Amino acid sequence: MRLARGALLLGALWLGMAVAQERAAAAAAPTEQQLKAVFVFNFSHFVAWPPSAFASPTDPFVIGVLGNDAFAAQVEEAVHDERLDTHPLEVRRFARVDDIQDCRILYIDRSQQAALGRVLTLLDHRDTLTVSDLDDAAKRGIIIQLATEDNRIRLLINTESAHSAGLTISSNLLRLARVAHTGD
Amino acid sequence: MATGCKWKYFPLLLGLLGAARAPAAEDSSAINNLKQLDVQDLLNVEVTSVSRHAAPLAEAPSAIQVITAAQIRRSGATTLAAALQLADNLQVAQRGASGWSITARGFNTDLANKLLVMIDGRTVYTPLYSGVFWDAQDYLLEDIDRIEVISGPGGTLWGANAVNGVINIITKKAADTQGLYAEGGGGNETRGIAGLRFGGSTPQVNYRVYGKYLDFDDSALPDGSPAGDAWHRGQAGFRMDAPDSTLGAWTLQGDYYSNHEHSPTGTSVLGGENLLGRWSREHGEDSGFSLQVYYDRTTLSLPVAPLTIAGLVLSPPGTLHDELQTFDVDFQHRLQLGGINALTWGLGFRDTHDALDNAPAVAFVPDRLDQQLYSAFLQDEIQLAAQLALTVGSKVEHNDYTGYEFEPSVRLQWQVAPAHTLWSAVSRAVRAPSRIDRDLQEGPAPYLSILHGSSDFRSENLLAYELGYRASVGESFTSALSTFYNVYKDVRSTAITPATVIPFYFQNGVQGHTWGAEWTGTLQLTDDWSLRAGYVLLQEKLHVKPGYFDLSNARNETADPQQQASLHSSLDLPGGVAVDLGLRWVDTLRNSDAQQVGTVPAYMDLDARLAWRASRNLELSLDGANLLHDQHPEYGFPSPQRTEIERSVYAKLVWRQ
Repeated sequence: MRLARGALLLGALWLGMAVAQERAAAAAAPTEQQLKAVFVFNFSHFVAWPPSAFASPTDPFVIGVLGNDAFAAQVEEAVHDERLDTHPLEVRRFARVDDIQDCRILYIDRSQQAALGRVLTLLDHRDTLTVSDLDDAAKRGIIIQLATEDNRIRLLINTESAHSAGLTISSNLLRLARVAHTGD
Repeated sequence: MATGCKWKYFPLLLGLLGAARAPAAEDSSAINNLKQLDVQDLLNVEVTSVSRHAAPLAEAPSAIQVITAAQIRRSGATTLAAALQLADNLQVAQRGASGWSITARGFNTDLANKLLVMIDGRTVYTPLYSGVFWDAQDYLLEDIDRIEVISGPGGTLWGANAVNGVINIITKKAADTQGLYAEGGGGNETRGIAGLRFGGSTPQVNYRVYGKYLDFDDSALPDGSPAGDAWHRGQAGFRMDAPDSTLGAWTLQGDYYSNHEHSPTGTSVLGGENLLGRWSREHGEDSGFSLQVYYDRTTLSLPVAPLTIAGLVLSPPGTLHDELQTFDVDFQHRLQLGGINALTWGLGFRDTHDALDNAPAVAFVPDRLDQQLYSAFLQDEIQLAAQLALTVGSKVEHNDYTGYEFEPSVRLQWQVAPAHTLWSAVSRAVRAPSRIDRDLQEGPAPYLSILHGSSDFRSENLLAYELGYRASVGESFTSALSTFYNVYKDVRSTAITPATVIPFYFQNGVQGHTWGAEWTGTLQLTDDWSLRAGYVLLQEKLHVKPGYFDLSNARNETADPQQQASLHSSLDLPGGVAVDLGLRWVDTLRNSDAQQVGTVPAYMDLDARLAWRASRNLELSLDGANLLHDQHPEYGFPSPQRTEIERSVYAKLVWRQ
């Protein structure tokens, strides 16, 4: 009797959940892109740009995304209505290297591997924080590399590149990252 | 965490989502939720869409459940054993202040012996009786990454003792435990808890050091008086990881601990230390190897009561001292072969040195024993078709008691739809004899004991048939059902000596079968509220083999509940408040003492936790366990000395920086 009840209960639970599964799909574990977009937004708070990076206090703080419009949309979501001090945050999409305009953060999608060398030459000493999810990005001179390990995001920071771009990275961020060196 | 604004939309969502999903709205709220987290937390967020082994749990072809770091933190558990209550596919009973009986798929005896338990790859069951001293196994719970609990045999990969289940406790990488963590608190039963960890890094190496201290009050006797089993323990350790050295990744870690446990017969002292090194290297996504070496020393000092029959002292009281040293090497290699074969093979060697100072009433002979265990395994996962995989393999093991043991398995996995997996398996597993089965005796003459090991005790063995289904629908609902039919042979029995009756001695006189089912489901109702439910059904039919005798008539091995159920709720409220509730119901447990039969009554109990994140760094919590009763028993034959578990409440303060 006890067992029959148990088996019934088990069946009912299973069926009940099968019905519930049709209905419920609210809430979501984040996708990799969403998580990376929030990281890019957060970097604006952990890096100090020299005053020369902005022409006026009302200049927008531009985040550029090279080669991935879907990701740019996620970053837009993350920076919506946000400011950095007096600067409103703004996202711009660049399809090709030649489209790149002046920006404070430039995200280079992993699809742009072949263009990386040109991007770095172009940006030399331009007060721009470069971020990429390319493998070996930090070793190749990108300031912050977003690596995915064990389903989690890891930060690799090239402090030499940051220094030569005139940027100061907060120790609170450095503490959580691995330090990488150009060419190692 | 996030605001509760989704609440008002919830009924609407439920209606809408039956037919179509509304990804835009959800995605933006996922981003807004992520923006509430600081960078340290962001680094710990697990993402769902990764190329390698995406959604592994939804496709796992076994009865595996994973306890996550968040579940452990939100459970209010203070010890590893208590955290295992979160696994719906385990039977967990607290025996007293420090004692726990934990098993999967039954056989939760006083000397429960059919689980393989590992912490970061280090085996922690004792060869004295093939069971686990749960009071000696702990960690700073904040630094545990996850606990994988597999019910069902795992002998093909893990070898002897992985009969009814495997528990893999995996600690976080040092990179994930950077910075300062400090906790402190106390209450009526958990009188004191203190933990401290610091993690740092150099360009090549991440590291952490930690310490933990626990102090527990007595459990209670049935009349409400203290049982005299208060205890305290301390543990400290470290872990160093070099994830990207030129030769691959390496890890070095170690722990030290010491327990002092009171009892009416005296104070037990348990202690130990271990040191483990692992070197691994990946070659692309599908191949790689790891080499692991560890040393473990475990010491016990147990007071042994005198043996008295009808007022006559046959053996005086004494103390059993045991020092066990283990040296273990394990090598594993994965490779792809011909496109459809994912091959894993490995070699293992273990050397144990056991040194005892025997007590008059309990002795192991010989008192110094060196044993060697050699093992090799090969497993091939063959992709028969895009949606169909067959895994075949076997472990071959050689132990000093029974020689060669084979533990083959065949497993079929059918991907019915993305994230819908039907699986089935047939496996053989063995429990090799432990020292108690073979070497248990009394001290030197003229002492007597009533229970002996037996030199012809063989391995117990299991043939298991399993069928399961697991599904993940959307990102909010998962469900897994596992069913099993287990056939056991040569299970331990207790025979009597002709004419003199005592000493009793062990034989392989019991056999039979068990069957049952385990179900678990999780449902993310809103961004801020999730539910988890579990149910276990277990039926055990064991009997004494013809021509054999068992003192408890095959009842000793089956002191298990026929059913158990659980329901957990995790809710985040505005203002950084988190509310967690865990309800569990356990059916009547039928046990025995020699020929007598008794029960532990069925019970329902509730754990609850209220936490408030006061600032980025500071969290306050109020934790309660077993709240529905002043006290209740979970294990043991009825007697005035049976210990009962009391309602426990404690407050805790956590600082993360």
